[in-house]
Amino acid sequence: MATRWSIVSGVAAAALVWGAAAAQAEPVRLVLWHMEQPPHRVARVQELIDAFNKSHPDIAVKQEPQSWGEIYAKAPAAIAAGNAPDLLFAIPDFTPILKDLGALQSVDGFVKRLDAEHHFVPSALAPYSYDGGVWAVPLYNMAMSLWYRKSVFAEAGLTPPKTWSEWKAAAEKLTADGRYGIGLPANKQLYTDQTVYDLMVNAGAADIYNPDGTLRFDNPQTVKAYDFYKDLYQFSAADAPGWTWGEAEACFASGGCGMILQFTVISTYDSQAEGDAQDLGVAPIPHADDRKESGTIAYSNAVMILAKDEAKRKAAETFIAWLLEPETYGRFLNMEPGLFLPVTADGAKAKSLWSDPLVVKYKPQIEAMIANSRNGALFGFTGGHTFPSIAAISAQNILAETLQKVVVDEMSAADAVKAGQARMQEAVK
Amino acid sequence: MKRRLGQSLAIAGGLLGLAVVVLLPFWFIATGAIKAPQEIIARVPTLLPQSFTLRHFDKLLGASDYPRYLGNSLVVGLGSTAITVVLSVLAAYGFYRLRFPGRDLLFRAVLVAYAFPGILILIPLYGMMSQAGLIDTPAALVIVNVTFASPFAIWMMRSFFASIPAELEEAALIDGASRLAILLRIMVPLAAPGIASVAIFAFIASWTEYLFASVLILSDANRTLPVGFAGIIGQYQIDWGLMLAGATLATVPVVLLFGIVGRWFIAGLTAGAVK
Amino acid sequence: MSAGPRRLSRARSEAIAGMLMVAPVLVWLAATILYPLGTSVAISLRDIRIIGSDGGFVGLGNYADVLEMARLWAALGRSLVWVTGNAVLQTLLALGTALLLNQRFRGVRLVRVWVILSWIVPTIVVVIIWRWLLGTSGGVVNYLLVSLGLTDRPVGFFAGQGSAMASLVVINSWRWFPFVAVMLLAGLQRIPADLYEAAAIDGAGPWQRFRRITWPLLQPTMLVLGVVGTLLSFNVFDIIWLTTAGGPSGATQTLPVLIYETAFKSYRLGQAAAMSVLVSLLLMALAVLLTRALAPKGQG
Repeated sequence: MATRWSIVSGVAAAALVWGAAAAQAEPVRLVLWHMEQPPHRVARVQELIDAFNKSHPDIAVKQEPQSWGEIYAKAPAAIAAGNAPDLLFAIPDFTPILKDLGALQSVDGFVKRLDAEHHFVPSALAPYSYDGGVWAVPLYNMAMSLWYRKSVFAEAGLTPPKTWSEWKAAAEKLTADGRYGIGLPANKQLYTDQTVYDLMVNAGAADIYNPDGTLRFDNPQTVKAYDFYKDLYQFSAADAPGWTWGEAEACFASGGCGMILQFTVISTYDSQAEGDAQDLGVAPIPHADDRKESGTIAYSNAVMILAKDEAKRKAAETFIAWLLEPETYGRFLNMEPGLFLPVTADGAKAKSLWSDPLVVKYKPQIEAMIANSRNGALFGFTGGHTFPSIAAISAQNILAETLQKVVVDEMSAADAVKAGQARMQEAVK
Repeated sequence: MKRRLGQSLAIAGGLLGLAVVVLLPFWFIATGAIKAPQEIIARVPTLLPQSFTLRHFDKLLGASDYPRYLGNSLVVGLGSTAITVVLSVLAAYGFYRLRFPGRDLLFRAVLVAYAFPGILILIPLYGMMSQAGLIDTPAALVIVNVTFASPFAIWMMRSFFASIPAELEEAALIDGASRLAILLRIMVPLAAPGIASVAIFAFIASWTEYLFASVLILSDANRTLPVGFAGIIGQYQIDWGLMLAGATLATVPVVLLFGIVGRWFIAGLTAGAVK
Repeated sequence: MSAGPRRLSRARSEAIAGMLMVAPVLVWLAATILYPLGTSVAISLRDIRIIGSDGGFVGLGNYADVLEMARLWAALGRSLVWVTGNAVLQTLLALGTALLLNQRFRGVRLVRVWVILSWIVPTIVVVIIWRWLLGTSGGVVNYLLVSLGLTDRPVGFFAGQGSAMASLVVINSWRWFPFVAVMLLAGLQRIPADLYEAAAIDGAGPWQRFRRITWPLLQPTMLVLGVVGTLLSFNVFDIIWLTTAGGPSGATQTLPVLIYETAFKSYRLGQAAAMSVLVSLLLMALAVLLTRALAPKGQG
């Protein structure tokens, strides 16, 4: 009798141990795709992943950096072929594409729990909340500001411009000694979309959709924004039609451009220019003369969970929650100090954020950038509404394309904007 | 023929022009890779470097996956080359020496393979590879590279075979040798420089391929050099030093390769002249 | 007479051997080109948007839509300009280089090796080199232009519509002309030296030797290079995409660039497939016409 029980309990115990061991031996594997390819960012992500995998032996995360240029084609193709990753970083206009393919499930429950604990900045969450669900978890924010050198301004007798008239005057004054007053791009590319929208926001043309979802891109404020861009553009570089973020930053770093619009120039300024923290000036983007407040473009970057398997989704949620913990979150944001801004209230205060040497050195600038980001907006996701058809519009860089009509083809701003609206109609059909 | 002064000057001038056009850009890249960042983006470019630093190479080799991309490209390149050579040597001999129905038509059709834009093939091929489980494998790239290199390789190889006198084959045939034996024992050794040329062509074509490599490979571990390098350069900032260092290093393996076997490439192409 | 039923006639064994040797590569090409081509045609008949999604059958609707787009015809025009510009520039550079490399002088063997440097590097390296050299701040070319007083402001080589296309043609030609030169050199070296000697004895000068001997005897090589070169040139995508992405304002949007954008940025896969099929038909017609002109009539 006792022998049988001991055998049974022995077998049961062995089964439990074996089961537990088996569970231990096979961690849940997660594949993460993100678009932060520069080597130092990849290294930082790997550090974090290693720490997570160590403290969570039942989960094994792996990263696969991808490029923004390819991902719009690669992700849908991978999903169609069954090679999709479990986690994918995204910007607001990329998410609707995947949602339309049926690759996403709402994560509103998860986000609610995170919100209760960390308090998301509402403008970071808004672009991902529509159609009765939340489709991604906000991770980091990026917002544009106006960058300049204080010494250069002082020499020209200028103070940071607040209105458009002041801005134009400053650009004019700074165009001297082979230097361009302001480095504005005119490429059919995302950076130009962003700088154009910076001006649209500050002209009062932030909404390109009506509340009912019809397009209102063609309106007097938009035309005003394009007109002013053309005005400022005469002080920009001759090869600006080929510029992306890198060229603008190089121009600023070498002193070839007096001002630029950029998310951050801190790393480049520190490593390729003088790196004089006292001299680096950052200001809100100037607003049109008849407006009172400055605004900017703000990209809330998020992470989407594509995994369908329950165990993987749980593991994914564990990983994301861990990333947003204040002790880890700062280290995550500092994979590119100054570029990635916090999307949570406790993240903004986290010691891990403020302890990075570069962040310490440029603390005033980063505080200013965080302040500027509060007035951020993103085209297609404004006014409390979200219109997923924006994905087609941004994928084709129609804002930038319209600008090229004005500065390269020399069309009038009114005609170009009208044509731009027609292109948008075609794209969302 | 005695060379006149005018002719010598023309040759010298031509050489100088060629050197400036071909070599000078590479000089700037190579010297740029060892300049300090400030000097690279300075508004006044410098012909001779004023500064010296190895940090760009350090970062490239130590902190990025560049070495792995290099290795992957080598593997894919060697695989593509080997298969292209085998397939095109066989086919070229068949097209050249042997008569069979439809031969001329097929030969012309092979070159027409270049009429199809890459995009046309890209997406269905992705689907095919996916079903075969070949996505994210070097094998997928090898398959694509062989496809793109073969038509021209066949054409090149055919001309080399043409320069070999037919009598040698005739003699072997009379002795009862099979066509395959003739190909392997007589033609191949004689056309060795030509084969070297085809091999080099196939390797270079594979080394520089971008479009298919960017879509068919998903993971960093399998990425090839052109795609991986484009990623390292960065999206939001451009690290010029890193970029120039990477560009320099991307050139080195093929320059070395060409330094060693380059004359065979040229010799192989010009073999037909020595009759 | 014949050696008996065991031994196949020579013609038959030759034919079988020939077909067997040619089969592997043909099967390979059929699998990797013809099959995808068929699939693409199928895609072009449906209204497919994002890759991986499905769409309804629309018959030739995509073809009709596409042929009505002004963009398509504009892109065709640019492709023709692109192909012509490349052909002219590369032929001039390659021919000149080949003639130079055909001379006998000390070190010519070395020159024949390093001349090909621009062809053997990946496209991304070519793009980096030229974007940097032609840039306005820190770019060597502009620095020379301004300091030599040829222009008073730096030139935006990729900023104007005409200059962007011209710059790209120059860059692509820079990349390819050494390869073409080496191929031409092979052709030149096949011309027997005694022909030149005989002509020199007859009193013909260098230009006449070129016109009467070199040029005609180089025709076969030039024609094949011309056909393949045209096809490859037409389909060039990566160098344009990586440098200007079809800009500025569409000035360098050739057909391959338009097709790529239609597929991956406008998310209209069905239309992109229709465009590709049309381009393939165009190029095939072109290739067939040209290869017929140089059909290998039994010569080597």
